[in-house]
Amino acid sequence: MMRGTSSCGSLTERSPLVALRPMNALLLRTASTLGRTVSSAALAAAIVVGSSATATAAVQVDKLAVKAGKVITLNGETIEDGVVVIEGGRITAVGKANEVQVPWDARVIDQPSLVAFPGFVEAHSSNGMDRPNESIDVAPFLNVRDSVDPVNFYFEECLRNGILTINVQQGNQTVIAGQGMVVRPFGMTVEEMLVKPNSGLKMSADPKSGKSRATQAQALRGAFSGLRAYLEEMVQRKKDGNDFDRRQALYQGRTLEGDAAKGKAMQGEGWKVAGFELVPRGEVDEKQEPLLRVVEGRLPVWFACDSPAEVHTALAIAKENGFLKTTTLVLGNSCWKAAAAIKEAGVAVVLEPNLTHMERDPVTNDEIETFVPKVYADHGITFALSSTGDSNRSLWYQAAQCVAHGMSRDAALATVTTTAANMLGLGERVGKLSAGMDGNLVLMSGDPLGMTTRVEHVIMRGEHVYDRSKDVRAKFLLEGVQPSGTAADDVESIDIHAEEAKAGQKEGGK
Amino acid sequence: MIFTLPIMSQFVAALAIAALASPLPAEGAAPGADGTSWTVHAKAVYTSTGQVLENAAVVVQDGKIRAITPGIVAPRGALEVEAVTAGFVEAGSRIHDGFFSVEQSTEVQPQRAIADSLDPFDVRWKRLADSGVTTAYVAPLERNVIGGQGLAVKTAGEPTVAARTVPGRGYVTGVIGSLPSSGNSPAFGRPTSFYNRRPTTRMGVEWEWRKAFFDAVAAKRIPEREFDGAAQLRQVLAGELGLYITAWATQDIRTAIFLKEELAREGFGTVQLVIEAAAEAWKEPKLLVRSGAAVILPPFPDQGRTQDQSFMPLDAAKQVADLGVPFALSAQDARDPGARMAAQAGFAMRGGLTREQALVAVTLTPARILGIDARVGSIEVGKDADLVLWNGAPFEATSGIVGVLVGGALVKDPRP
Repeated sequence: MMRGTSSCGSLTERSPLVALRPMNALLLRTASTLGRTVSSAALAAAIVVGSSATATAAVQVDKLAVKAGKVITLNGETIEDGVVVIEGGRITAVGKANEVQVPWDARVIDQPSLVAFPGFVEAHSSNGMDRPNESIDVAPFLNVRDSVDPVNFYFEECLRNGILTINVQQGNQTVIAGQGMVVRPFGMTVEEMLVKPNSGLKMSADPKSGKSRATQAQALRGAFSGLRAYLEEMVQRKKDGNDFDRRQALYQGRTLEGDAAKGKAMQGEGWKVAGFELVPRGEVDEKQEPLLRVVEGRLPVWFACDSPAEVHTALAIAKENGFLKTTTLVLGNSCWKAAAAIKEAGVAVVLEPNLTHMERDPVTNDEIETFVPKVYADHGITFALSSTGDSNRSLWYQAAQCVAHGMSRDAALATVTTTAANMLGLGERVGKLSAGMDGNLVLMSGDPLGMTTRVEHVIMRGEHVYDRSKDVRAKFLLEGVQPSGTAADDVESIDIHAEEAKAGQKEGGK
Repeated sequence: MIFTLPIMSQFVAALAIAALASPLPAEGAAPGADGTSWTVHAKAVYTSTGQVLENAAVVVQDGKIRAITPGIVAPRGALEVEAVTAGFVEAGSRIHDGFFSVEQSTEVQPQRAIADSLDPFDVRWKRLADSGVTTAYVAPLERNVIGGQGLAVKTAGEPTVAARTVPGRGYVTGVIGSLPSSGNSPAFGRPTSFYNRRPTTRMGVEWEWRKAFFDAVAAKRIPEREFDGAAQLRQVLAGELGLYITAWATQDIRTAIFLKEELAREGFGTVQLVIEAAAEAWKEPKLLVRSGAAVILPPFPDQGRTQDQSFMPLDAAKQVADLGVPFALSAQDARDPGARMAAQAGFAMRGGLTREQALVAVTLTPARILGIDARVGSIEVGKDADLVLWNGAPFEATSGIVGVLVGGALVKDPRP
């Protein structure tokens, strides 16, 4: 009900610039209240473009300069009175406001009391979907693009908390759950949200309840031995002059032109199938093709583990099949006990939202708490954090907790920005404010890790996509604004017992 | 050099601070034989009495605060930290036996005392103490309408209930809402056993409350109607015991207030009311002020909605503070370290409270509600040495609790 209300509300506030584009439910793009148009010429230009056939063109020619009291670039410097210039959806300049040449026709947003920040990066999340695949065990062909729900509350919360880049991955409870993608929390369609497709294949060493780790390891290894057998059979059929795979590919409507018509020797550091260059790539079944790319090191793997023992299983399977270098572990909080093995394997990890591992000493029954990020930091392991489902404890809070436990601010901030971006292969697109990066930034009311700091505005690809003053649900969460008429103004009138007593007295009087 | 001062008013204590400012203690108090004597030095000591003392040393001797000296360098041997606050007082902790604290024989049990069932060896005490809570009030699980009398106890120290008890105001505790009736067998449908507990509805819960008080008053005139717990209910009406009612939602908060007003109107007595877990207290501002009740707020929920479908926005504490209603914050039995007492105070700040207001709401105000503020709740000379040691400004997400003293004993050691 709330969602419907807010989406209706936003439809009434379309700006001419974006009138032709679909609107995200909660979010408004009317920049007029925030920025000021520097010249009437620019305004006229914007209106002309806005009335042309597609508003996407408007975004490309749109020039925006965001001036802020402080610009935290995460690129080695923090600029007082800085400016970020965004043209055609990308950052073209970052520097001191009095040094950077701002294009004459750029729209200017001037917020001297706010802090510009690159925005947080969620390195791994199974939120934001209709539902992640948690049921089909070996499904490398599934893709979250069929499941991402643009109006999911999670994306709204991301925007509200300054998370601008999210790696959406399948769930942790299957064997090979499918492929993920990197999105931004804005847009009415998956295409509009897309930042990077095929961000990796999700695997899990964590068995479903009722199944054993041995079964899980067997299923994982079975998938790869199955792939190998399948590829070897293909080679054999080619050698035998059997046309089965080509005809099946044609029957299934697959492309067999260009690169797909060519055979290539198998790459990768694990096992190889001899003679595989005989097989045109387009003939490999979609069910097996993602796994083939994994073995060849061309598709990253996000490997979920819920216990230290599973870490060893995951690392062994990655090593056997040659994809250790492209693996990132997604870890439950007890996995810190495998930190030495993780360090030795040289893989990066994403930590679950709960950062403190609690256990009971089996002898003394004492409760032991371990702040997990500290362990990985002490081992020199590259790690990123995940947000909780709590409105008050998003990625900023997670990073702040690391500072509270003794990590430096820079290191803590990296775990939710640059490090996470690097894990996604997006280190040159998001997570920093510097020329060439995507035109994304967050305007905050203060220190990004401050308890009382709020995200006031979000700019994505040069568009003003979030304004807190218009965020109805944030107001509700903060102030509990409710429909009028529910709180009692005249408190006397709501005391039914007093009314009864009065009535009783009257009767008694008679 | 040790200064021994008797308990005194804040004004006199302030004079003592001034007097102490010139003769600097050359050395911190040596740890006593029992490990309850320390000197704690911090860049900022938040006293909970409206002061932030810079570069101050707090001298702890035999479990009590003996001196507070601002404006000095850290004496040799002192525990040095960024900030010090008083130990938190958790007025809504739930360190009871869970369902074993629920009496099945009858819903009304004012004569029961949780003191008889507290387990000082429960691991949750350590969890509380490490999170900065040094005193906790425990009421029975909210599954009896009137569950019995709660108890304020220290979260560490000699492991007996007697040694840990902090004597204060007594309360008869109970619940208004759906909780006491939840799980009770329905009046229709398939019975789950031949013994059906009552009540099964909110109306039934409310009826139990009113009946209990009316019966207790009636028993004064008709001795054969005396029942177990009637005496305690009459003590509540006489103001000798307080009434501590857990009520989450607006309708239940209203019912609690109307109960108090009804008892006054009938001439039974004036009840001193504390509404615990009052998530929707903000929704009835005028009624709340009229009632004169004190409020204990539950933990801030993940996305607004909490127990009994009640809605608690982030500025709930701010709204209650602006009304002038005495209120305390609570983390209840939070297991998640990111949602414990310090975090709750932080969220309250995020919702608009000042740091000082948030601090008082987790220290002095709950101590006053529980009637134990002569011993705990602030950093004043003569009070118990219950201290929380921080590595940054209190309640910031970037600050951690690095040390805790309970009665002068170092429960959590700030030294690496």
